[in-house]
Amino acid sequence: MNLKKLGLIVTAVAAVLVLVTTYLAIYYAPLPATSVKEAGDIMPSVEGSSVTVSGFVTGLNITDLRMKDSPAVIEFSLADFVDYQRYEAAVAAGNTSSQWWTVRPIDVKILSGGFRSTSFGPDITNDVHNTTNISLSAAVTAGSIGENSQALGYYLYTPETNSVVISSSQGGFSAMTAPIAQKIFYFHMPSAWASYMGFIVTLVASVLYLRTRNVKYDWIAMSSAELGVLFATIAITTGPVWAKQEWGVYWRWDDTKLVTTFIMWLVYIGYLSLRAAMSEPTTRARVSAVYGIVGFVTMPMSLLSSRIAPLLNSSHPEVIASSTGSLSAQAGMTVGVAVVAFTFLFVAMLIKRFEIAENEEELEELKRVIGGEE
Amino acid sequence: MMFSSWLALYVAYSIVWLGVFGYLTYLFLRQRRINGDIKALREEVSKHGK
Repeated sequence: MNLKKLGLIVTAVAAVLVLVTTYLAIYYAPLPATSVKEAGDIMPSVEGSSVTVSGFVTGLNITDLRMKDSPAVIEFSLADFVDYQRYEAAVAAGNTSSQWWTVRPIDVKILSGGFRSTSFGPDITNDVHNTTNISLSAAVTAGSIGENSQALGYYLYTPETNSVVISSSQGGFSAMTAPIAQKIFYFHMPSAWASYMGFIVTLVASVLYLRTRNVKYDWIAMSSAELGVLFATIAITTGPVWAKQEWGVYWRWDDTKLVTTFIMWLVYIGYLSLRAAMSEPTTRARVSAVYGIVGFVTMPMSLLSSRIAPLLNSSHPEVIASSTGSLSAQAGMTVGVAVVAFTFLFVAMLIKRFEIAENEEELEELKRVIGGEE
Repeated sequence: MMFSSWLALYVAYSIVWLGVFGYLTYLFLRQRRINGDIKALREEVSKHGK
């Protein structure tokens, strides 16, 4: 099988997988757990949907009417425990709008116990207290039941307690603040993966070039670096779109992951610029190979920076091989398909770019023949 | 702000698709130009008996 045929097959597989990824990301992957920041933005856009929310119970009010054969009505405001402290300070300071960590509690209403079918779940009236750390799935409902829902026009409601989980420790739940924008992750992370793959291939091909002086390795290194920059650009631009929703700011210069990834991107832009600035093929290949090897040091810096966040400073989510991070089965499958899709996409593009590099060499050769003749 | 979360999703997906298809288009056009140049030069070489 020649390279052209292989390229076509890989391209076809990549196209199908990318379409499947898009479908899975939008329709199949569930909304992640959400916390309470910017609830006013989140809730209208998911009205009627069930969202999983975790947080800190405050302003609890239980109306227990079980003597009248009715379930107890548990109402409270749900806030993020850590940010709630900041929220109170911000309210006291009269400023709740301009800081990325500012939170706004969500009012929640749960029906519990009473003479109802057990399928509604256990009675939790004795388990919920102010300061309880709680996680629940509830429907976003238009209306107001408390101070916060009056402001927002929405509250969370569930007649069931099956989905309620009560934790003994504060901060025991993970939470996202922008559940819909989180679906950006299904393309952001595979793009970053493809860029890392590109820079690894550049490293290997650069080493092989220096060992063998076979110009084909130089073409592979160049093609791969170009693709690495493309996918890194996609990752670097989609990340801030998510960050604006999740963190409230597009970029954080104090975040190690973001800064190291930006440096990596600049280094490989430099690699391509360096190649463009040199016309002599052998010198260009040799210098580029050395640069490709030295510049690779930025790749593990970027990849590992969020894993050693306690030592450094990064709020970037850690997804794979994490003891704290976790994905649902559907989300995990979507990520898996996305990574395979982008791997195929990368290989398909690499084959195509390599073919072009070969053709460019042929063109240069013909120009040399013409030039020599003249 | 009601659709900001959805809008962010669409913007991000557009960036991905524009990036991928933009690059593929660039590759396609570049390939076409190179093929054209190669064809022209081959004709020129054969015309001169090389």
